[in-house]
Amino acid sequence: MADPLELYCWKGDWGLPSVDSDSLTVLAYAKFAGAPLKVHKIANPWRSPTGSLPALKTREEGSLSQPSKIIIHLRKQKYNADYDLSAKEGADTLAFISLLEEKMLPALIYAFWLDSKNYVDVTRRWYAENISFPFNFFLPNRMHGQQLERLRLVRGDSGLEPGDDIEKELYRDALECMTLLSQRLGSHKFFFGDSPSSLDAYVFGYLAPLVKIKLPSGKLQQHLNSLDNLRHFCTNILTLYFPAEGREAPSRKMSSQPDAGDFDNEPNKRRNQVLSVLVALGAMLGYAILTGIVSIQRVHQEALESSEGHGNHSHDSEEEDE
Amino acid sequence: MSLAAEAFVSQIAAAEPWPENATLYQPLKDDQILLSDCASSLAVQAYLRMCNLPVQVSCRANAEYMSPSGKVPFIQVGNQVISELGPIVQFTKAKGHSLSDGLDDVQKAEMKAYMELVNNMLLTAELYIQWCDESTAAEITRPRYSSPYSWPLNQILAYQKQWEVRRKINAIGWGGKTLEQVYEDVSQCCQALSQRLGTQPYFFNKHPTELDALVFGHLFTILTTQLTSDELSGRIKNYSNLLSFCRRIEQNYFEEHDRDSAGSSSSRFSKGPSL
Repeated sequence: MADPLELYCWKGDWGLPSVDSDSLTVLAYAKFAGAPLKVHKIANPWRSPTGSLPALKTREEGSLSQPSKIIIHLRKQKYNADYDLSAKEGADTLAFISLLEEKMLPALIYAFWLDSKNYVDVTRRWYAENISFPFNFFLPNRMHGQQLERLRLVRGDSGLEPGDDIEKELYRDALECMTLLSQRLGSHKFFFGDSPSSLDAYVFGYLAPLVKIKLPSGKLQQHLNSLDNLRHFCTNILTLYFPAEGREAPSRKMSSQPDAGDFDNEPNKRRNQVLSVLVALGAMLGYAILTGIVSIQRVHQEALESSEGHGNHSHDSEEEDE
Repeated sequence: MSLAAEAFVSQIAAAEPWPENATLYQPLKDDQILLSDCASSLAVQAYLRMCNLPVQVSCRANAEYMSPSGKVPFIQVGNQVISELGPIVQFTKAKGHSLSDGLDDVQKAEMKAYMELVNNMLLTAELYIQWCDESTAAEITRPRYSSPYSWPLNQILAYQKQWEVRRKINAIGWGGKTLEQVYEDVSQCCQALSQRLGTQPYFFNKHPTELDALVFGHLFTILTTQLTSDELSGRIKNYSNLLSFCRRIEQNYFEEHDRDSAGSSSSRFSKGPSL
């Protein structure tokens, strides 16, 4: 109780506290339950204690990565947002979380990582701009590969190409799932009455990115926008529980925000690039001098004695190294 | 099944009545079928019986390879082939047979959610125990799965399937779980189902729905199947209302039907499917 638990999660953008569904779920649950967490919003999964995000550092059980495990751990620490739920409501929570995982998650993976337009224009761009320098070249691609593999295995198809059939099938399931959630929510403020529970955190985690992030091909978003109560549900949680992020991007600033992000990152990125080029050059030169490939005195001597063949040769190799 | 084909099927389906010679295909039930496939097959059979649609069960060693989606069971109705419970429910609905028409929107949403709960937790737990628990895999799953084939094909196919399932289990984040945690998940799932059922005869009061068929398929199969340990069925036996729920569906839809038609499958449910 003395020192707060530490949570590592993806940083936010587009007026969201985090861009990642799992991170959003955990953040929302922590807010609902009133758990005092020390949140590290980072953009490099390798800096998290488990190598993936989100991650919760705990004293007893080491570091936890899966949202369900993190929520269970918070519950054990007496931060329980589901305390008021009846047994039947608890059962419903479990059922609707399964529905989200089976129907919504595959479509979200498809929309953000496989749909080529969305992936190139939004997802890859964001991760490439926000992950720090040497990692931004390969981490987005690696994450893309992982997500592709995950979707392929979950669906049990060996040949998975982003094509019309798969897209329609996944989106049909997801649209149905959103409609069902909307029907279940009805005109309530939260899924079980007036106070939010873990199911609200999950639904928020899955749907809030769709509400806030503008995707070039957005069939899922179109449908979500037609379900007023679900959309309000998400914006409501954002304004109630994450007022800081909500203020940064008041509604229509979305187009200007990525630009602002660019400028913020630019100096840092440039500095890193220059630094790393200098370090690499220094290492190469040091190696060359130490191993005797390039020897400064000898070049001078040979230049004086005008034995050109050898002198040119060492010059060449120096240039090649650089 | 591709979507174009699906749309086509549902159009045609509406026009034709349910034929007498509809057939359900599944792996060989004595030597080959696995717990998870048996559960899915029983769920489809229960669903069709609840709809009062006759179907003959046909066991084929290569059922998995005959199925359009690679999953068993699948049914052949006229000249159409449909696999798995979800699409089959859609298909019968197009023909005008539906169990969930009487439900309101919220109930439909809950029914779908609970069906995903069963798929997400019970089915995955069955797959985990079959293929990822090494003693079950070595003693039961691999020998049964490959029983129709001779050496060395049987070894190759069994290990190939095991590798495939394990990768899937890892992809959905169950890879790091221990057997004990999986049993814990099964308990949690049964607890939820039991709470939801309460004292009602079926999940949505008086009339069965596809959810009842799915739950019955899985629970009854787990209860009547001999595995290396009794732990899995033991977890279900803690919930008396689920047990009486299984007995109720068995009596109403399997024993009566069999008495009426003196069908060939009556022996099956008196001794239960054995794995």
